[in-house]
Amino acid sequence: MIIGKKAPEKDSARPLIQLENLVKIYDTGALRVLGLKKINLTIEKGEFVAIMGHSGSGKSTLMNILGCLDRPTLGHYYLDGEDTADMTSDQLSLIRNKKIGFVFQSFNLISRTSALKNVELPMTYARIPKGRRIKRAKELLEKVGLGAREDHMPNELSGGQRQRVAIARALANEPPLLLADEPTGNLDTAASIEIMELFSSLHDEGVTVVVVTHEEDIAAFADRIIRFADGQIISDEKNSGKGGIPC
Amino acid sequence: MLIENMTMAFSAIRTNKLRSALTMLGIIIGIGSVISIVSIGDTMRSMFADLYKNIGLTQAYLSIGYWVDDVRQSDYFTLDEMERIKEAFPDEIAYIDSSAMTSADAVYKREKITFDYTGIDYNYQDVQPVNIVYGRYLNEGDILGRKKNAVMDTDSAKMLFGTENAVGKTFRTTLYGSTDDFTVVGVYRKELNAFQALMMGKTSDRGAAFVPYTLLTWPNDYFYQLHIFASEEVNQSVFYDQLKAYAARMRSREPEDMYLYTAMEQMTAVDQVMGGLSAAVGGIAAISLLVGGIGIMNIMLVSVTERTREIGIRKALGARTRDVLIQFLTESAILSACGGIIGVAIGVGVVSIGSALLGMEAVIKPGVILMAVSFSAIVGIFFGIYPASKAAKADPIDALRYE
Repeated sequence: MIIGKKAPEKDSARPLIQLENLVKIYDTGALRVLGLKKINLTIEKGEFVAIMGHSGSGKSTLMNILGCLDRPTLGHYYLDGEDTADMTSDQLSLIRNKKIGFVFQSFNLISRTSALKNVELPMTYARIPKGRRIKRAKELLEKVGLGAREDHMPNELSGGQRQRVAIARALANEPPLLLADEPTGNLDTAASIEIMELFSSLHDEGVTVVVVTHEEDIAAFADRIIRFADGQIISDEKNSGKGGIPC
Repeated sequence: MLIENMTMAFSAIRTNKLRSALTMLGIIIGIGSVISIVSIGDTMRSMFADLYKNIGLTQAYLSIGYWVDDVRQSDYFTLDEMERIKEAFPDEIAYIDSSAMTSADAVYKREKITFDYTGIDYNYQDVQPVNIVYGRYLNEGDILGRKKNAVMDTDSAKMLFGTENAVGKTFRTTLYGSTDDFTVVGVYRKELNAFQALMMGKTSDRGAAFVPYTLLTWPNDYFYQLHIFASEEVNQSVFYDQLKAYAARMRSREPEDMYLYTAMEQMTAVDQVMGGLSAAVGGIAAISLLVGGIGIMNIMLVSVTERTREIGIRKALGARTRDVLIQFLTESAILSACGGIIGVAIGVGVVSIGSALLGMEAVIKPGVILMAVSFSAIVGIFFGIYPASKAAKADPIDALRYE
């Protein structure tokens, strides 16, 4: 497979994410577990999608593949038109760096490293010069409402604040895709609403947001809800009752 | 990126101060001991070189070989022969005597002390300068006139006469069966540093004095060996070969039958032994560097395991294999280089203080320091490779899941 092979669609109408007959098999030697069974899925640019499912439904596996942390066993995953199936791990690193912004359940900030340094990190790996890096990191922290906390260490911040630093970090290299894995899983209701509203406003600015969650209230922020069970999509529908958590 | 890596490495080292310090300790001790041992060795060698320079590097003793079985009377030297040799090599020989030495009791009033007498020519001062503090050195008149005059050092004078200024005082001694009164004409002061005194040994209960060699060697006596100082301008080995051949021809011997013992050869031998010794001990000390390196590897492995999650995050954010590899390699190299620098400081400190206490000049070669520091950096990088590649190869999904 040629690296960077283009998806069959026309360039202008190219979807951001396109999965073709995607299969993931976990081979543990004695046991072969089918993680994902022939998934076909298209997510257009600018969508706000929630992926729902219970644990073991395959949504985390899908999340890892969408995030280019893992490769499919069979089938194709075109991210922004590029086939990631046969990329080397360093090529995937580059894709993650430029195209994907990660937001994790457990924040995953680097400890004993200031908020500013954490936000700078993806830009460091993108080899952006220091001056520009710091300027952009400060802007991003300002944007998520933490302008005054740039020198704080992660352990000096509340859960909601940490997640906002993580979101600022995810946006550092202006990736087309923001991928959030249970972003509110470790937060209280108030902080959860704050975070989801931040996602909504980012979506309004044109960022494609994909949120993996098992909470209906969180999924309710999205425009489109995809439900997973047993490694398959069982439903894919527009979210009519959009409005968030009832207070 | 290099600066980023350095900053990250320093912050990681700072985070675990005690652990980093203990890890460095191995390298510190290793480098410190290699530098001290090699420098102590170099210092000793330079001390020995100085010592030999003081004794006279150009000097030699010539005699019939100790391996020659049929030693004849003609194999011994006479004063006539000595004169002939002196005339044969007027420019080459700076000094020559009959290598006459004997010991006898010297008596002054109630004091009786064993003295070692060395028979010298008046120009012995030219090749072995001494600092005369009272009176004068033996002169040509003393030698030719077989005057019973003596020159001794201040310690000997003090022992025998109870005063350093013994000029004009006489003592009685028996040399080769004849008892005579000797007059002290001069007293000199020995100037030795602590190390030389240690090496030469201070014979506290014996005195020493120079007397005319003509007193210890009579014209009709034979003597076993010649004591020669070559002039510094001539090529020593060429001259001594010629001398050997000349002396051999005099008594119809082969040059191989003559035994020549030069200070230069002796010094070279000592220097080689000392050099070999310090290299060997330094090599053993270098093993501790290896142990230090293993310590670094151990800690880096712990560090990599502890920071698995951090590695996962970095990879998720776009760090490539090489980025992670370089990050951890930088850390181990800095750890080791810091240890190396501290080790150098300690090694240099130990040698400087030690030599200052002994009143010697420390010899610390820059090459040794350079070698030790680069070796420590190499150790750090070499033992950092495995932990760093382990970190770099970590699977981001597994690493992110790591608790």
